[in-house]
Amino acid sequence: MTAITVDRLHKTYLVPEREGGLRAAVGALVRRRRREVHAVTDVGFTIEPGEVVGFLGPNGAGKTTTLKMLSGLLHPTSGTATVLGHVPWERDRRYLGQMALIMGQRNQLQWDIPVLDSYKLNQAVFRIPDADFKARVEELSELLALEELLRKPVRNLSLGERMKCEIAGSLLHAPQVLFLDEPTIGLDVAMQRRIRSFVAEYNRRTGACVMLTSHYMADVEALCRRVIVIHHGRLLFDGALEELVHRFAGDKTINVELADEHPLDPAALGPLVDGHAVERSATGFSVRVPKAETPRVAARLLAGLPVSDLVIEEPPIESVIEQVFEATSAEVDGG
Amino acid sequence: MTGERLDADWTSGPRQAPGEGGLAGLVRHDLRILRTYLSLGVLNLVQYRSDFVLSVVNAVITLATQVLGLSVVFGQTTDLAGWGPYDLLVLIGVHFLIGGVLGLVVRPSMEAMMEGIRLGTFDFTLVKPADSQLLASVQVVRPQALVDVLVGLGVVVFGMTRVQASLSVVDVVLSLLTLLCGLVVVYSFILALSTMAFWFVRLDNVLAIFQSLFGEAGRWPVTIFPGWLRIVLTFAVPVAFAVTVPSEALTGRLTYTSALSAAGLALLFFAASRWFWFFALRRYTGASA
Repeated sequence: MTAITVDRLHKTYLVPEREGGLRAAVGALVRRRRREVHAVTDVGFTIEPGEVVGFLGPNGAGKTTTLKMLSGLLHPTSGTATVLGHVPWERDRRYLGQMALIMGQRNQLQWDIPVLDSYKLNQAVFRIPDADFKARVEELSELLALEELLRKPVRNLSLGERMKCEIAGSLLHAPQVLFLDEPTIGLDVAMQRRIRSFVAEYNRRTGACVMLTSHYMADVEALCRRVIVIHHGRLLFDGALEELVHRFAGDKTINVELADEHPLDPAALGPLVDGHAVERSATGFSVRVPKAETPRVAARLLAGLPVSDLVIEEPPIESVIEQVFEATSAEVDGG
Repeated sequence: MTGERLDADWTSGPRQAPGEGGLAGLVRHDLRILRTYLSLGVLNLVQYRSDFVLSVVNAVITLATQVLGLSVVFGQTTDLAGWGPYDLLVLIGVHFLIGGVLGLVVRPSMEAMMEGIRLGTFDFTLVKPADSQLLASVQVVRPQALVDVLVGLGVVVFGMTRVQASLSVVDVVLSLLTLLCGLVVVYSFILALSTMAFWFVRLDNVLAIFQSLFGEAGRWPVTIFPGWLRIVLTFAVPVAFAVTVPSEALTGRLTYTSALSAAGLALLFFAASRWFWFFALRRYTGASA
């Protein structure tokens, strides 16, 4: 059985709209103009139990809207979805009891009471038996180093500490589906890494399925073998991360190290690299060439220069994704 | 990372999962949530020690001015639309009591809900496997308000010892029931007001308006107001009515008409506010990320 099935999902918002200025503001009090915004258009995919899927797209692409529909917060305009056999927006308690939504930018722990007390509220809400509750709190606090934090009021915690406590609190009921919306946003690198490895371990141990959005590609590379990319509310790509790079990266980078103090003559180098822009380094240079020409250019460089080392690299995922979005924006804008 | 292993039981799940066990299961679940929120809130009293002192001072000042006001009125007359001085003292006590319960959990929770709708954290209330209205209504407890509850109880008891009304057990039970009705009416009213935050994101002043209505009109028997205002304070903004009926019961002047209308009004307000709540939830769009 699949964990998540999404079919032709649409979500259209009606947003009030007005010009700036006093006149327009007064006018809007009387008659509000509204504009349709297609946040999600015709999105479909399936996710198997135990999968960790990266959900990528620039700001405003429709990621959060999709996650909110799947976690039951929003009704779609049309289309269907089932998660663990339930229609999420029916908000059946049996579904909500197996699901967790974690948003890096928002807290659910109560500000003024100790973390552990917030956990006890969750225990009551999720009907977690005492023995399970105790064992899980102990284990999570060991994994995430929460010992010192559990008895402090949330307002006294740092951002990173708070996020760890948020995540632990959201997992006490051992959810089978996890929606993580930017879980590492604003955290330092060490804390990001800690949370990443924790999510991986949680997935490994419980077999829960995870959908993750993040602007940090390191999160995605570390956790997700599969990615779903949406842009302007439409599905752009659904497949393995390497395939995304393979399919969308138009260029490769050739890094060349030269032997000795070889005087590099720009005029001679030009024809060797088909006139592509060359970036000089202390001991050599690098050049970006279209993928198809890479073997030919590399062979010419090896033949024509005293090369001590030559490495061909895929571009970093960040820049691939950027390219994908730029390309499709141009397509959409151009009509 | 090495050494990070999950060993607790992550698969057994709850013995009775949320949503299971039929109606009895739902009610048990709701009661457990209510109990946990209230008891944790009150146990956290220590977090608010200085606030607590302030609320004692505040309650004493409020009580003193109200009693002073009463003594001014009763310096001129011995009877206000059939209410004697100690009858009105009982009413002040009931007013304190209801205000205290509202301040203990309902008002702070509603304020938190409106804030949550504005900031987007209300999402977390909706993804919990429990009754959303219940969660929204009990999410924050402000234990300082216990002072008002205790002062209210004390004033009611003191006033009753001075009122020449002998209450039977039935009268006491009726009094408690009408008190419950009054609470339900006022709670439903506040809930409906706060629910409007789903449309008009900034609504902080709504509760301030309610507070001044309840604070001013609520501490007089609804029967002393002229006819049209009495109707408004009974059906449109039922604050005075909610305080008056239990006070009538406690001072031995409850009629069947007002007892029944209190019960009817409580049911009506509760059902309407709950319907309005779910109507609003369907339109919820949340704050954007």
